[in-house]
Amino acid sequence: MNEILTQEKSIYLQISEMIENDILRDILLEEEKVPSTNELARQYAINPATAAKGINILVDTGILYKKRGIGMFVEKGAKEKIRSRRKEEFSKVFVKRFLEEAKSLSITKEEIITMIDKEYSKRELTETE
Amino acid sequence: MSEGLICNNISKKYKDKEVLHGINLTLERGKIYGMIGRNGAGKTTLLSIMSAQNPQTVGTVTLDGETVWENRKILDHICFSREIIPSAGSGTLGAMKIKDYLKAAEIYYPNWDKELADKLMQEFQLNKKDKLGKISKGMLSMVTIIVALASKAEFTFLDEPTSGLDVVMREYFYRLLLEEYEKTNRTFLISTHIIEEAANIFEETLIIRNGELLLKENTQDLVERAFHISGKAEDVDAATEGLTRHHEEIIGRGKSVTVLLEAGESIREGYDVMIQPVSLQNLFVALCGIGEA
Repeated sequence: MNEILTQEKSIYLQISEMIENDILRDILLEEEKVPSTNELARQYAINPATAAKGINILVDTGILYKKRGIGMFVEKGAKEKIRSRRKEEFSKVFVKRFLEEAKSLSITKEEIITMIDKEYSKRELTETE
Repeated sequence: MSEGLICNNISKKYKDKEVLHGINLTLERGKIYGMIGRNGAGKTTLLSIMSAQNPQTVGTVTLDGETVWENRKILDHICFSREIIPSAGSGTLGAMKIKDYLKAAEIYYPNWDKELADKLMQEFQLNKKDKLGKISKGMLSMVTIIVALASKAEFTFLDEPTSGLDVVMREYFYRLLLEEYEKTNRTFLISTHIIEEAANIFEETLIIRNGELLLKENTQDLVERAFHISGKAEDVDAATEGLTRHHEEIIGRGKSVTVLLEAGESIREGYDVMIQPVSLQNLFVALCGIGEA
């Protein structure tokens, strides 16, 4: 939870994304307690109601669960769940935007595939070095 | 009985000039409200009327159904820590020592937390023997913050508490505020011109424009329905047809506008325009900037 907040995106969405990022990067482990609403509010200087909204999104999507009187915990299987959802978003959002930009620059499908191949082989080279 | 602090059709006239026009407003318990508005919009007047320090010309202010004006029992629950102007009253306030100012507040507010006031005096590194007329603007702000927090009043209003404070102190103030809010769930109404820093603190935002309450809404919901649209002028016009356009700017063939979508409204798809989210500060400028109503 060390990212910084930007002004241009809903704060509660940023809070839920930051927690997800921490789960993906093993900064928060499954079955581990996540920071409380008040801890988040204090750390980021945000309204506790906003922090709670961010946490609740993750409860609704089955990433976190509540232990009564103790706090919020990372659900078992949360990491895989986040990964598969983000993979879906990757094709829906990133790839779509990417193709729109390509279209506005009149880049053909073949050109795109060549570009991707080239980028991949560059990476393979640096990785084997 | 209506719960909370309620302004019903408040208007205020100074001589011939009406500065507040029919304000209706309800503050619920347990929220931090932010109030933003340009200089002279009527923020301070509204706060002083809500705390019965200044009589309204028309309308009523009630707390849980009971009128606020000259009602000692009710006023015990309301604190408006005003900006300290040392030159006011031909300088009598300026000659007062910080400790005497706090002593007066202690007598006035029945739930005064002396321990908290002393702690904050130390943390702010204020000298209690200093006179109000001799300390800096930032230090005067610190004194008003101490009064507000230590009053322990259920409804607490702060008028530009961060004015004159450096960025470190401003951040520290918001942390103190959140800490106090977390502990007590008191209701705070805070006016500020430094919007960007405070936007995340406010559960709800009130925008005052020319003596009217332009809107009062959950801050996140408000920011989420605001968009900045830019592109070729005719595309921007087509995409925003039928919407209220704020802050139109034209540069050559390009144009940008800000829209605040009402329920059921949307930006028309199929046009080559950039649609970007807007911060509270930018939205405020779009709604209250020069040239807007």
